[in-house]
Amino acid sequence: MRARLLVLSLALLTTGCISVPHAPARGRTLNYTPRAATPPEGVDIASDERPGAFDPSPYSIAGSWPRQRFVRHGGARIDATKAASGAVGGGAQTGASPRQAVLDAIDEVKGTLDGVEGTFTKLAAHRPRALGEQSLNDDGLFSRFVEHGSAQVTWLRGGLGSATGLTEVASEVGDPDMELGVLRMTGPKLQATMFGTLLLATWVDFLQFSAAIIKHCFVCSDEKLFVDLHRVQRLMEPTLKDLESLDPERVEAAATAMPELMGKLTQEFAALQAQTRESMRVGEKVLTAAQVLEMVSMISTLKMSLPRLPPAAPVTLGMSLAMGSGGVMMGSRIVVSAEWVEMMRRLVQAGVISLPAVNAAVRIHGGQVMMAQAYQDLPQGVRDALGDSPEVRGMHVTGKAGAGMSEAPKHHVLPKEHREWFEQRGFKGDMDIDQFCVRLEKSQHEAIHGGGNWRLGRTWPGEWNRMLMKALSDAEVEAGRRLTRNAVLDIVADRMKDYRIPMNFVTGRRR
Amino acid sequence: MSDGRSWQGNWKARLYERVRGRGYDSLTAFAEARPTASLEELAEELGKDDIAGVQVFSGLVAEAERSHRLTRLVRGQFVRELHAYLSTGWPSEMGDENRFKVARALAGWYSFTPETHKERVDRAGDALLANPPPAGWRPLGPDDELLRTLLPDDEA
Repeated sequence: MRARLLVLSLALLTTGCISVPHAPARGRTLNYTPRAATPPEGVDIASDERPGAFDPSPYSIAGSWPRQRFVRHGGARIDATKAASGAVGGGAQTGASPRQAVLDAIDEVKGTLDGVEGTFTKLAAHRPRALGEQSLNDDGLFSRFVEHGSAQVTWLRGGLGSATGLTEVASEVGDPDMELGVLRMTGPKLQATMFGTLLLATWVDFLQFSAAIIKHCFVCSDEKLFVDLHRVQRLMEPTLKDLESLDPERVEAAATAMPELMGKLTQEFAALQAQTRESMRVGEKVLTAAQVLEMVSMISTLKMSLPRLPPAAPVTLGMSLAMGSGGVMMGSRIVVSAEWVEMMRRLVQAGVISLPAVNAAVRIHGGQVMMAQAYQDLPQGVRDALGDSPEVRGMHVTGKAGAGMSEAPKHHVLPKEHREWFEQRGFKGDMDIDQFCVRLEKSQHEAIHGGGNWRLGRTWPGEWNRMLMKALSDAEVEAGRRLTRNAVLDIVADRMKDYRIPMNFVTGRRR
Repeated sequence: MSDGRSWQGNWKARLYERVRGRGYDSLTAFAEARPTASLEELAEELGKDDIAGVQVFSGLVAEAERSHRLTRLVRGQFVRELHAYLSTGWPSEMGDENRFKVARALAGWYSFTPETHKERVDRAGDALLANPPPAGWRPLGPDDELLRTLLPDDEA
C-alpha cells in the first residue's frame, strides 16, 4: 500500500514537472505574450468564460474535464485579451489603417511563435530520458522530431521579418494606392506564417504529449510512438513545404486545405491518447494515466477539436459558429475575439489576406475540422463580420477557384531589361522587381505594349516600358538627383493608374 | 481598382458613347470643360471601372491631330499634371520635396506628349526650371498667358 502511494505521489510530482513550463501559463495557452496579463477592456466575456467560474459541466465525464474546460476557456479568454491589447497598442481602434492591421497580425503570430519556440527549447533541453531512466530507444530519434520543429521556426521568423520590412516600406510610400499595393505583398508571408505557426503549435502538442508518454508510460511502446510521430510528421510535411515556399498560390491552397489536415491530426492525436490510456489501464494505475493525459497542457487548437473521450464524438457536432458581441462564438465559448475578427476584416478588405484563408483559420480555431466536407463555409453572420462581399471576393483572386484573372499570365511592371537600374535604386530582396508583377489579360497586356492596334491617335505611342522608363529618367533629370525607391514607386503608381493596372502584385519569375 | 475591364469589349465605342451620353460631341469638349481634372479623373467620370486614362488621352490625341490643335492639347495636359502634384501652384522655394513634386509633374507631362512635340516640351520644361514662374502660378487652362508664351500655337 505504501509502495503504491509512493508511486502515485511520484507520478503526480513528475507529471507536475511536465506542466511546470506552463504553470505561469494559465495566461498563455494560445500565446505566451505577457500582454495576456492585462484584463481585456471592452471585450464582452460571458461570466462563465472566467477561470474559476466553471462548474461541473454536462461534458464532465471524468473528474479531469473541468480542468480541460478551464484550459479551453482560458485559451479563448486570452485570445480575446491579446487581440484587444493589440488593438490598443495600435492606438487607433476601429477604422485603423490596414497597415496597423498587418502589424497587429504580425504581432499576434510572433507571440504564438515565441511560445512555440520556447517549448521547443525546453523540449530540446529536457529530453524525455533526462531523468536517467533506462532507454530502449535512441534518444536521438526524439531529438530529431524536435529539431524538425525548430527548423520550421527559422523560416517562420524569416517570413515575419520580411513582412515587417514590407510594412515599413509601405509606410514610407507616398501614394496611398501604392502603399496598399506594397502592403498586400505581405499577404502570402502573413498567411503562410499564420498557418505555419498554427501547424507548428500542433506539432508541439504532439511532442509534449509524446515526451510525457516516454517519461511516464513504462508499458507504452516507444517504437510504436516514434512510428506514430513519423506518420504525423509526414502528414504535415507537404503543407509545411507549401507554406514555406511563400508562393501565393501554394500558400492559399495549403491554407484553405488546413482544416482538413487539422481534422486528420486531431484523429491522430485522439488515437494516440486512446492508445496510451488503454496501455496504462492495462499496465498501470488508471489514475496515473489520467494524470499524464491531462497534465499536458496543449497549446494548439487541437484542444478545441479533440473529441471528448469517451465516447468519441466531435466537440462541435451539432454546434455551429455564430457572430456574437464578443466575437465568433460557439455556444458560450469565444472562438475568436471581436477584435480578431475586426483585424481580419480589415486585412480581407485591403486584399492582404484572402477570405477563404480567414474562413479556414476561424474553422480551425473553432475546432470545426472534423467535418471538413460538411462545413465548407462559415455561417453568413460570421462571413459578414469578416467583410465578405462580392467585391472582396473579386479583389483577392487566387487559385483555380477565382475568376479568370487568376489564370492570366504575369507580367513585370518594372521592365526586366532595366533590372540593374532598379537595383541601383533599392529594388532588391523583398522589393526585387520580380515581386512587382501583375496578372494581365491578353488584350490589356497587348494594349499596354502598344500592340493590338489599340491607339486612337498616331503621334502618341503610349507603350508601357518606354513611357515608364522615360518618366522615371525625366523625373530624375528634373529632380537633379537619383530617385529614391519611394519616389520611383510614386511615379510607377501614377502611370499604373493611367493604364488602370490594378496594384495587386504577384511574384514573377526571374527569367 | 480595375480588374482589366477597361480593355475588354469595344472600348473605343464605349468611350464615345459615354461622351455623347454626357452631352458632348467630342472628347476634347468633354475634357476642356474640366481643364484641371487629371486623366484619371476624366476616365473615372466616363466609366468608373471600364475606361482608362490612357484611353482618354489617346482619344484626345486623335481628335487634336484631326483638328491640328495638338499644341493646345499639350498645354492642357501640363495644366492637369500641375494640378495633380502642385495643387497650390508653383512652389516658392525648391527644397527636395518641392523639387520632386515638380519633377513628378514634369515627368507626367512628358509621358503624355505626342512624339511631334517632345523637343518643344523638353525645352519648355528646361525654361520653366531656369526661369521659374511666380510662386503660386497655377494655370487654369490651355489659354493661360504664361503657358502660351512657353508653348505658342504654331499650327495653322
